[in-house]
Amino acid sequence: MTEAATAPHDHGPVQARPTAVAVRGVSKTFGNGASAVTALDDVSFDVPQGSFLSVLGPSGCGKSTLMRLVAGLQPASTGTIEVAGGTPDEMRRAREFGIVFQQPVLFDWRTVEQNVGLPLQIMGRPKGEARERVEHMLELVGLSDFRKHRPWQLSGGMQQRVSIARALTFAPPFLLMDEPFGALDMMTRERMQTELLSIWASNPGTTVIFITHSISEAVLLSDRIVVMSARPGRVLKVIDVDLPRPRTDETRDSKEFVDVEAEIRQLIFSQEGR
Amino acid sequence: MSLAPGTKGRERLITAAVVVGVLALWYVAALLVQSGDDPLAASKLPYPHGVIEQIVDNRSVLAEAGWTTLKQALIGFAVGAVVGIFSSVVMAQAAWLEAGVIPFILAAQMIPMIALVPIAQNIFKNDDVTRIFIAAFITFFSVSIAVLRGLKSAPPPAYELMSSYNAGRAKTLRYLRLPAAVPMMFTGLRIAAPLSLVGSVLVDLSGAQSGLGYLMLAAITFGSEGAAVLWGAMIVLLALGFLMTQAVVLVERIVAPWQPDLRHGKA
Ligand SMILES: Nc1ncnc2c1ncn2[C@@H]1O[C@H](COP(=O)(O)OP(=O)(O)OP(=O)(O)O)[C@@H](O)[C@H]1O
Ligand SMILES: [Mg+2]
Repeated sequence: MTEAATAPHDHGPVQARPTAVAVRGVSKTFGNGASAVTALDDVSFDVPQGSFLSVLGPSGCGKSTLMRLVAGLQPASTGTIEVAGGTPDEMRRAREFGIVFQQPVLFDWRTVEQNVGLPLQIMGRPKGEARERVEHMLELVGLSDFRKHRPWQLSGGMQQRVSIARALTFAPPFLLMDEPFGALDMMTRERMQTELLSIWASNPGTTVIFITHSISEAVLLSDRIVVMSARPGRVLKVIDVDLPRPRTDETRDSKEFVDVEAEIRQLIFSQEGR
Repeated sequence: MSLAPGTKGRERLITAAVVVGVLALWYVAALLVQSGDDPLAASKLPYPHGVIEQIVDNRSVLAEAGWTTLKQALIGFAVGAVVGIFSSVVMAQAAWLEAGVIPFILAAQMIPMIALVPIAQNIFKNDDVTRIFIAAFITFFSVSIAVLRGLKSAPPPAYELMSSYNAGRAKTLRYLRLPAAVPMMFTGLRIAAPLSLVGSVLVDLSGAQSGLGYLMLAAITFGSEGAAVLWGAMIVLLALGFLMTQAVVLVERIVAPWQPDLRHGKA
């Protein structure tokens, strides 16, 4: 749409970059016999290195399941997933994934800073280095003043920010986020989206897979959007979003933004009609 | 949920009211019992002030007996807790281990204490060791079953989180399962604390030559004086059980203040 190379945070056209995650004909069925549920059906897409990809789909279409498969937390029923040239399980063992789950999953017995430092502690990083790193992450998500607080003393949005900071502390090459802003009000949500973009920009090379059921969220954040149908989850279309970066609050009002949003909405509605 | 913060004072007031109420009831009951023409009435239900007098008069005897019973109960409580925690950690490592061991634990728990005490006495031939054994036996069940449950209380996403860090069995235990089990562990300890004391007294009552239970038995064979001693010993037992439970609660507040029902205000 616009000259790609001018924006400081632009990583170049998304199509030109090497593939970091390749999902090929992946299906996932839970249970067997009469009670079997097909969560994903023949899903394929590519995630370019260092790009921001969103998976967009209605509730129950298998988005969380897809994230678990990519992260090597569950095996696919059929099909293959390749991550950085290996299997998801190999990459999980190599600690390549920082995951933000649909719920914050914070430990009540740890303070905010201890929660953020958890992965570093498990990975046995030196204490001093870990402390610096945690400090930096808390600054990034704007929670420095709350480092000694406990998770339950924070609002839902703050908890999710702790969870994001924790996923980022060990600078994983892949960031997987499952509807991290799902529980937030519209205003907080939009602020967090812009925050996320700037955090991502300050960690160049990080490949993000972001799960959402909000069309505008997907359009604002992504280089590429995988649009999924309702259960069983199939890929309706893979759409590249060429809006210039950095994207800001003004981007939301631009004509290009509204056009892409409308295109996706029509795609989803036309599918529902069939 | 317990009462909201700020109602601590009211809680205390309610406790005080209950104590006063019980004492009043006791006076009324003792009055009714002793107003009949039964000459032995006073030996059945003495007045509270009579009991307190006896406690003060016999304080050294009561203190010695109480300490004997309490000391072995405490040792047994500690042993039972450690063994209980350790075995539940072992059981939590594999479903087949748990499935294999739990039936034995449940079966052992069905053994009536009245039957177990003489067996233990015959084996150990020592009152102190028997008291410790019985207290430990009772503590073991409450603690192991509670901790086992606690070790499995973390939600599935928490395991996925650990898995995404490639945390192995040991690290998942250390950073997730054990801390998650702490609240249940304290629940088990709180249940076990007074029970371990009761176990210790049971040994006193079963032919031991010392302890609060022994004092109770001895008091029964006396006249109306003895009844007050019996009641005095029971009140000492009650107080010790209360103190032990409160000690567990206090430690829990210090060790795991992050639990929902212990939170108040900011950290
Ligand atoms: N462990 C499981 N066992 C059985 N069925 C499952 C399991 N996990 C997911 N499913 C099923 O797979 C389907 C997709 O679930 P999933 O959680 O991936 O959806 P989702 O797109 O993330 O939904 P939402 O937007 O509401 O989070 C659902 O029908 C669900 O019932
Ligand atoms: Mg989901």
